[in-house]
Amino acid sequence: MIDTMVIFDLLLAVAVVALAVASMTTRDMFAAIVLFVVFGLLSALAWVRLSAPDVALAEAAIGTGVTGALLLRTLHHVQTVERKAAPEPLPVPMGVQIANAAFCGLLTLGLAAAFAGAPRGGPGFDLLVADAMSISGVDHPVTAVLLNFRAYDTLMEVVVLLAAVIAVWQIERGLSDAPAPALGEVWQGFARLTLPAIVVVGTYLLWVGSSAPGGAFQGGAVLAAVGLLLLLSRLYVPRPSHRGAARVAFVLGTGAFAAVALLVTGGGRMPFEYPLEHAKTLILLIEGLVTISIAVTLAALFHGREPVALPERAAGTGGRDDA
Amino acid sequence: MTLDPLTLVVFAPLFGAMAAFVAPRAAAAIGLATMALTGAAVAWLATEVHAAGAVRTPLGGWEPPLGIALRADGLSVAMLVLTTGVGLLVSLGALDSFKGTANARLQQYFWPLWLLLLTGMNGVYLSTDIFNLYVMIEVIALAAVGLTVLSGTRAALRAGLEYMYASILGALLFLLGVGFVYLQIGQLDFAGLIGAEPSAAMSTALALMVVGLLLKTALFPLHFWLPSAHANATAPASALLSGLVVKAALYIFLRLTTYMPLPDEILVALIGALGAGAVLWGGVQALRAERLKMLVAWSTVVQIGLIFIAFARAGQVGLTESWKAAALLILAHGAAKAAMFLSAGRIKDEIGHDIIRDLDRTPVRPTLAQFTFALAAISLIGLPPSLGFIGKWSLMEGAMAAGYWHWVAVTMVGTLMSVGYFSRVMAGFLRFDRVRAPVAEHQGWALADLPPLVLALGAIGLGLAAAPILSFIELGYPFGMTP
Repeated sequence: MIDTMVIFDLLLAVAVVALAVASMTTRDMFAAIVLFVVFGLLSALAWVRLSAPDVALAEAAIGTGVTGALLLRTLHHVQTVERKAAPEPLPVPMGVQIANAAFCGLLTLGLAAAFAGAPRGGPGFDLLVADAMSISGVDHPVTAVLLNFRAYDTLMEVVVLLAAVIAVWQIERGLSDAPAPALGEVWQGFARLTLPAIVVVGTYLLWVGSSAPGGAFQGGAVLAAVGLLLLLSRLYVPRPSHRGAARVAFVLGTGAFAAVALLVTGGGRMPFEYPLEHAKTLILLIEGLVTISIAVTLAALFHGREPVALPERAAGTGGRDDA
Repeated sequence: MTLDPLTLVVFAPLFGAMAAFVAPRAAAAIGLATMALTGAAVAWLATEVHAAGAVRTPLGGWEPPLGIALRADGLSVAMLVLTTGVGLLVSLGALDSFKGTANARLQQYFWPLWLLLLTGMNGVYLSTDIFNLYVMIEVIALAAVGLTVLSGTRAALRAGLEYMYASILGALLFLLGVGFVYLQIGQLDFAGLIGAEPSAAMSTALALMVVGLLLKTALFPLHFWLPSAHANATAPASALLSGLVVKAALYIFLRLTTYMPLPDEILVALIGALGAGAVLWGGVQALRAERLKMLVAWSTVVQIGLIFIAFARAGQVGLTESWKAAALLILAHGAAKAAMFLSAGRIKDEIGHDIIRDLDRTPVRPTLAQFTFALAAISLIGLPPSLGFIGKWSLMEGAMAAGYWHWVAVTMVGTLMSVGYFSRVMAGFLRFDRVRAPVAEHQGWALADLPPLVLALGAIGLGLAAAPILSFIELGYPFGMTP
């Protein structure tokens, strides 16, 4: 039994490395992206084998799903804008390639040697977390770390996402002339069928996060797929008048998170120190709002720009404000 | 709700950024109010640190290593004062240079990005946890890239993309080092670093983090992204990027090497040698620069190199004193470089170009901005009584005392070169023989001339207050071992 799992792990490890090499060496951009997505899925599987289901979910939803969609969207954009065949990049001289490979290889070997020789510092946070679980307000250790013990880090990670979408929205040059990609009519039917399922999965991931693997980032990424499908199927078309609502949706999670952190202070409590009897409610509230913000933000990043007035025919039958 | 100054210093700009983003029409007003509030919070924190030495807040009531504590000592407060002080003045300058409907978009996006940047930098100066530092430098990186490309020109977009690649690579190297540390000691807080047994693996982790930080702070030869990124941004963004942003990674470097000392004397010398490379290479490039803002950006490369020479000036023995010299140079460069970029921006706006060769040909002379540029140059060259002079002097004093004359020689050569490249600009300001039209003197004194002037005067005047600054920096023993 154990032997078969070892063989599986070895195959997985070889496949992950091979896919990484393949996606970097292929000249065809589309093939590279597809290989990258497969690479991400297998990495997610590797995380499962390493007993890190939370990381596996994040890798699958964000590292593979959303990132793959963003890469394909960018490829579409670049190919549309630069239709006049971009000059083939000069081939890198063989000597440079070999020198680079040798340098990186040596570096990796050195790191591996240091890693193998490193003393292990015991269980890390495991014992501390186990001790504090009973007063964290949730039952899943990863959620307790992310939303309670080290909530400050998580808040700032949400801020990173906010900074990213603000930075993307302020870029306007070279974007307005590229048409947004769209799905054909068959796919629109597909979108109608899958949308409810995605909503259910995403919400379930968020809800289950307090007691099992899952949570705001994973749920948000899955819900972002709803936004992607709505955008691709033209069921929702972003308009300049939606900017205000979108801005509110972007900051909703960060704002609520930070506001709760400050509002719970007083009576000797520090920022982020949730009163025990309300801890679970507050954590769920924060996670729910953060999920909405993450979903809307990722969908907006996919859309790739501040909504501008479209000269084409008026399409769109409303829908959510997620662009 | 009860507030403490540590939390307020980070959260005030965060809420300000969100408000400015949601209400773009009121962005400038919200931004200024936020700057005032943040300034007040820093002042409050400064009085507490002055009274009590170091102060700290364990967030969530969880003590490290499980939780994250915010901590402020003299050095943190000095960096916060620099950041908010320079930030406030640059904000006032931005208010004037972004006015008018043509710049409405700039105005709208400058404030949320800048306030998020401020959140990240303030967070760095109060952090006591290396993973938290990683998250903070990511916040800084994205906001800084946003500010770099704010002008929207093709050159700025290209430079911003390069900056983002460098910045993310640096952050990932840092994160790899953080993972290594956690693997070995099972802790992420500074106290864990101090207690760790020195080993080859810990040194590898430190090396990864330091290389990542050097990339972010643009120490030669990892400076390749800096000149075009800083030269192509709009003037207020350049001032913030050059004066403040590179200092965040430098500060983390100072902290880390305090708590995890470099394992070998040779490495200290290597850091100094890279600094010397920056001083010489940056100096040559500044002498050859064709555009004023490019020259100023190369001068940042030089100054960063100088700060690392100050760090290495006396080898491992004198590190405690060397850290102080480096801190002084950080403060001096922050104020002077912000002043210089703002005034260079003003000169470019008034004249219509910033080609150094043609500065003497124009009949338009924005005299106040040119005067400010000269004042800032005085501090950057290191003429007395400026803060730059005090910093350079303590660098050379320590090097001479330790008998390391090669650092003195490099510093002197760098100083001579800086006189050279700033004179190129000054000569353009002062010569009139190629002007064909009647000279329209001091056209365009504007409100935007005032903030850089105050900054430049500050960089010079603070030299007189060097002693109290130094004794304040020592509060809470930032260079001892008690985080």
